[in-house]
Amino acid sequence: MNENIQEYLAELEDIPGTRVYTAQRARKGYWMNQFAMSLMNTANRERWRADERVYLAEWPMTEEQRQSILDRDYNRMLELGGNIYFLAKLFSTDGLSFVQAVSTMTGMSVEDYQAMMIAGGRSPNGMRSIKDGD
Amino acid sequence: MARISAGIASSHVPALGAAIDHVKTEEDYWKPAFAGYEWTKDWLRNTARPDVVILVYNDHASAFDMNVIPTFAIGCAEKFNPCDEGWGPRPVPVVQGHADLAWHLAQCLILDEFDMTIMNKMDVDHGLTVPLSLMFGQPDAWPCKVVPLAVNVVTYPPPTGNRCWALGEAIRRAVENFPEDLNVQIWGTGGMSHQLQGPRAGLINAEWDNRFLDRLIGDTDALRHIPHIEYLRETGSEGIEMVMWLIMRGALGKKTRCLHRHYHVPASNTAVGHLVLEPEE
Repeated sequence: MNENIQEYLAELEDIPGTRVYTAQRARKGYWMNQFAMSLMNTANRERWRADERVYLAEWPMTEEQRQSILDRDYNRMLELGGNIYFLAKLFSTDGLSFVQAVSTMTGMSVEDYQAMMIAGGRSPNGMRSIKDGD
Repeated sequence: MARISAGIASSHVPALGAAIDHVKTEEDYWKPAFAGYEWTKDWLRNTARPDVVILVYNDHASAFDMNVIPTFAIGCAEKFNPCDEGWGPRPVPVVQGHADLAWHLAQCLILDEFDMTIMNKMDVDHGLTVPLSLMFGQPDAWPCKVVPLAVNVVTYPPPTGNRCWALGEAIRRAVENFPEDLNVQIWGTGGMSHQLQGPRAGLINAEWDNRFLDRLIGDTDALRHIPHIEYLRETGSEGIEMVMWLIMRGALGKKTRCLHRHYHVPASNTAVGHLVLEPEE
């Protein structure tokens, strides 16, 4: 093996404002992500919309995880093991685009976020490494 | 004998698909993103006319949930249905597979020491259907057959760039060993720089992206040695999708010639990159 797995994983945690979907997060968020995928058909989306709490009770996740979903707190969901491609089913069910949903994680209004993207996006300068402050 | 005649690289941003589906491609915001595909659409229709496309893409938690995470999965079915990603399936034709070629590739690749997962039933998401829409527009049926090759870039670790390049080399050997006379293209999709999560979302690195495009052309193989952490730091967490372009590049042999190049920021949260390459012997 070319990579030392401990060093490999430690580097993944060194990126500011980013949660890489590692095995640790994937295990923690297993049910959140499976729940999100269940929204890939109309029947389930209708049941979900009818009563979110009842629907969530069917999935064996923690109360914190359930609350983050009810709050649509995407940063919190990521912290608790959610993955954005799975959670995309949740915001798509809410009728949000990727820009609308993604902007909620940045502390910017959707208009300001959209303007930043049109101006060329967020620069990587100063955002590459926590330890190097680069 | 079958041959790989060309490679195409392209982003597969879902919003590009939505813009096509909802007739927004002429709007000011979208127009420059789509303009860069006009050359390719014309070239595909009038000159290149592939029989089959080996389409390298990643599934975005659509066919594969958290229970099954294949690193490399090859679609061997006769057809693949567009899936419902939360807003209903895209209104695009069913994707017709090429089961003979797909099974041939699977067998050759496994004997060549790439442990492929064989998919006999698989729905395909925007990762596969958006590139088809970008290159072929809105036909009643796609003009060629497709062998889907899904790569895990969601759950870490994804395959290394070097492994992707080597898989491409093995695909070339396998295609050249297929007895039927087929004009085969290979497409690598995803990227370029983008991050869809957390406070760092919206990251774009046009300079890095363009250096990546530069190095897909010619005889350098420097890209196969870029570590995952560089993609993540420089191009955002979802920029890792660019490892899939290296499968396409590896399949084009030692040297490539660029027929067409396009780069535009933004499409939704993402930098759009697009290249058309030919193998140069």
